[in-house]
Amino acid sequence: MVIINVENVTKAFGKNKAVSDVSFKVEKGRIFGLLGPNGAGKTTTIRMINNILAPDSGSITINGQEASPHTQKMIGYMPEERGLYKKMKVGEQLLYLTQLKGVETKVAKKSIDFWLDRFGASDWKKKEVGELSKGMSQKIQFIATIAHDPDIYIFDEPFSGLDPINSETLKEVIIGLKNDGKTILFSTHRMEQVEQMCDDICLFNNGKAVLQGNLRSLKSSFGENTINLEFEGDGAFLDVLKDVRINNRSTNFAEIRVLNGQSMQDILKLAMKHAEIHKFERVEPSLNEIFISTVGEDNIKNEEVL
Amino acid sequence: MDFGKIFLVLKREYLTRVRTKSFILSTLLTPLAFIVFLAIIVIVTISDGEVTKTVGVVDNTGVLYERLEAIDDQRYQDISDIEIDSIRSSVLAGNLDGYIILNDEFINLTESPTLVYGGSGGLSFIESVEDHLREVVREEQLARSNVSDEVREIFESRPQLKSLKLTDEGEEEDNAIFGAAFGFILGLLIFIGVFGYGALLMRSVIEEKTNRIVEVIASSVKPIELMFGKLFGILSVALTQFGVWILSYVGLSILAAPVAGLILEAQMKNLPPEAAEAASPAFDPSSLEQFIVDPSIFIYFFLFFFVGFLIYSGIFAAIGSAVDSEQDTQQFMIPVMIPIFIGYFLNLRVMENPDSTVAVVASLFPLTAPINMISRIAATEVPIWQIGLSLLLMIGTFAGLMWIAAKIYRVGILMYGKKPSYKELAKWIRQG
Repeated sequence: MVIINVENVTKAFGKNKAVSDVSFKVEKGRIFGLLGPNGAGKTTTIRMINNILAPDSGSITINGQEASPHTQKMIGYMPEERGLYKKMKVGEQLLYLTQLKGVETKVAKKSIDFWLDRFGASDWKKKEVGELSKGMSQKIQFIATIAHDPDIYIFDEPFSGLDPINSETLKEVIIGLKNDGKTILFSTHRMEQVEQMCDDICLFNNGKAVLQGNLRSLKSSFGENTINLEFEGDGAFLDVLKDVRINNRSTNFAEIRVLNGQSMQDILKLAMKHAEIHKFERVEPSLNEIFISTVGEDNIKNEEVL
Repeated sequence: MDFGKIFLVLKREYLTRVRTKSFILSTLLTPLAFIVFLAIIVIVTISDGEVTKTVGVVDNTGVLYERLEAIDDQRYQDISDIEIDSIRSSVLAGNLDGYIILNDEFINLTESPTLVYGGSGGLSFIESVEDHLREVVREEQLARSNVSDEVREIFESRPQLKSLKLTDEGEEEDNAIFGAAFGFILGLLIFIGVFGYGALLMRSVIEEKTNRIVEVIASSVKPIELMFGKLFGILSVALTQFGVWILSYVGLSILAAPVAGLILEAQMKNLPPEAAEAASPAFDPSSLEQFIVDPSIFIYFFLFFFVGFLIYSGIFAAIGSAVDSEQDTQQFMIPVMIPIFIGYFLNLRVMENPDSTVAVVASLFPLTAPINMISRIAATEVPIWQIGLSLLLMIGTFAGLMWIAAKIYRVGILMYGKKPSYKELAKWIRQG
């Protein structure tokens, strides 16, 4: 069942088309990843789904209803630029934000207590947010997003600014939400996070949705056209290879995408001549590689982030 | 618009502001300052009368001292028999506050006498000695000229001016000077309120941006609802503060005269009868009754503050939304500050001359009206059509400015980075 339906949506700021004729569908109960470099139009799309911005043309429906103040209540949204009132107490703040989502005071208080308890944060209720550590306030932020118990969760770059431990916690929570039958949409420019979590993806570049579908079938459709090579010794031989693209290269590792029917066995032979091979594996391409091969190396707006 | 959400925003804004120390202190200390001010007036006038200064009189005319003694026998001492050197030393020792030598030339007005005084002179002291001397010389001259009693009565009579204000209800006593000053203060309060609370609203909007919470809020509330909630929240804070101030003013002004009267009475009982007699005319508690004003002025005050704040606050909110930090606001503040400061500077003119053309125009022009109309209403009788027209123009201006402000605010709260130019702001307005 489609829970978020984005159809032919376009949004321009002055002459700059931030989102151009984008369509995608998010299925209920799945984790949907919105991928692409910074400035590709992910945040603008997410803001339109949240009814913060209105599209110039096209339509967005949530659960079959046009995006509106009413659909806002079905969504828990954590923006990329997140923050709280520093001088307000944790309890009051959570209550305020939950009430704004249309939840009754009594119900809101119960839910807030439940989540504070679950995150081991009940003692912070009377504290001002400014007194909390960064990790603590991130937890409060998260509770603020989910306390009204929505069906849909939207996180814009949820992992940016999180330390590895909090990152891991968040990942577990997101998967937990999915197991509860909730729908999650999140955006990221870090492809490896998507590989571990997403069921479906939509790739953005320059305001357009360039590729979308189920992550597994997308990857297998590209075939096992990539080599993961682990070696010890001089890696200079990699530079002489032709008809390949090397994505993820370090002193003893390389992800080699084979192009134009270049023989994998020839690469192995060459490698064996110059270095000691620890691992040679044929795999499906990484999302990073899929993204590059889809939009073309020259069309990537912001290469450094890939 | 969802009024439930606006109310939630309003409530948060209001509660977080009124709970701050600075709000509580400024709200409570101001009436306290007013009490201190009143007390100082009372104390100064009372203590002024209490001090009796003694002036030695060397009367070479033989006639003037009697007359001086009749005016104030505590002050004027006859020292005609004492050597000048010992007079001088007793002035230096502080036994006498001063001395004066009166010769016949003074009565003929060919020479002015000199008052020689010690450490504590004081303007009012010298003036009163001068008054007394004038009076006794005039009396003596009249006596010597052998004028008729009729003429003497003419000189003794002191015609006074009584002023009454004519209203629909008839003639009533009016205190024009106090009214004008009071109007000026009310205008000043509106100026401070609009400017101060407008700036507070602006800071509050910037705070939500720099805290990065505004997008979280925007996913639950429409920007216009957020803006109205904040605006009316801050307005409620201002009304609370002014309400406390005005209630305490009304209470104090009503209580001031009777309380001062009681204090004075208690003090008189402790004084020897003669001293009490000397002190009593110096301070009349009923003079404090002039602080009591017609409460209808406060209704106008709240009305004009309310609409005046609405006119300016939208723009303050829009400025706050357009920038990332307070330092960036200056460029946009100038066009807001010009009209409000013109209103402030004109206020003095309006106080001095509330019926002049400048005052009428300033009290009708919607950007200065909130400040200048209240001053006029307090100082003079403003035709009701002018008050109505002024309000109508203000409400129209409010609607127009709010429409523009809401459009800027909607775009601005989600924009970070470069400070927008006026051209970009115009684009935001067109886009909205």
